[in-house]
Amino acid sequence: MNSKPIPAETDIMRLTGHRFPGGFYTVAHWENYLLTECTGAELLPNGMVHPVVLFHLPIIGANTSIAEMFALGQAESDLSIMIESYDWEILQPLREEIRYRISGGITSAERCKNAQDKLYDRIQFCFEVHTPGEMLAARTTITWHYTRHTL
Amino acid sequence: MNLKVGDSIPQWVMPSVSAERMRTMAAILRDPNPLHWDRNAVDVLPLGLGKRTINQGPLGLSYMINMLHAWAGPNCLRRIVMRFPQVVLDGEQVIARGTIRALREEDSARLADCDIWLEHGDRGVLLEGTASVTLPGQKNPQS
Repeated sequence: MNSKPIPAETDIMRLTGHRFPGGFYTVAHWENYLLTECTGAELLPNGMVHPVVLFHLPIIGANTSIAEMFALGQAESDLSIMIESYDWEILQPLREEIRYRISGGITSAERCKNAQDKLYDRIQFCFEVHTPGEMLAARTTITWHYTRHTL
Repeated sequence: MNLKVGDSIPQWVMPSVSAERMRTMAAILRDPNPLHWDRNAVDVLPLGLGKRTINQGPLGLSYMINMLHAWAGPNCLRRIVMRFPQVVLDGEQVIARGTIRALREEDSARLADCDIWLEHGDRGVLLEGTASVTLPGQKNPQS
């Protein structure tokens, strides 16, 4: 189904240490409203943002995108990415209309084989979310598998 | 709350996973993956899922956050780690469940470490992981 060549292992390994530009993100009320509705929950009190925001807030706030993260690992297609895990640490609840500063990058990238002897590349991204007072509010780790010639 | 290790967390039910919500979520996330909004893209995969859309990982995870919020309050979540052994499909009823694995104190707050999972009646566990939450009635240093 996919004839894209498998990237060189060295190209994958050298992704470790890659940094995104970083930047800022403010969750507007409308965004929190829609996001929370998608989860099936009621809005949280006092302008608290639903923690599900911890997937896209760090990515977009760090000035990257899901599409760029796929491209960095030379994904065969959007369909070839499998989630290993998401790890979200919350040190302070996030709130609407607060301008958070986000930094992030790739903390590990390695070539692996699954139980069926198929190659995949395991890439781990880590992001930190800081308050305007520079306190760490949240840290997230995304680990994805870039499957190769599996689909 | 009089809790002990092994206690169950009250379940949280998503009666029907919505394809429309997946589309809204895809726009908010700027997620280009067609698995979340194009049934034909899922149908052609060699997975036998048929013409369905696949729920975003964070949305499945959010059902477990909702369970924890309903149980321990909207500011309870300290950490959540989630793995995704199976996909969640539109139209499915899924149930978030959990149990207390450990109780401990940290920074004068009482915490519960929990095993949590998302279950489907026929397909079993779809998502699984752990969460640490501040228990109600305790001062939360995060507030």
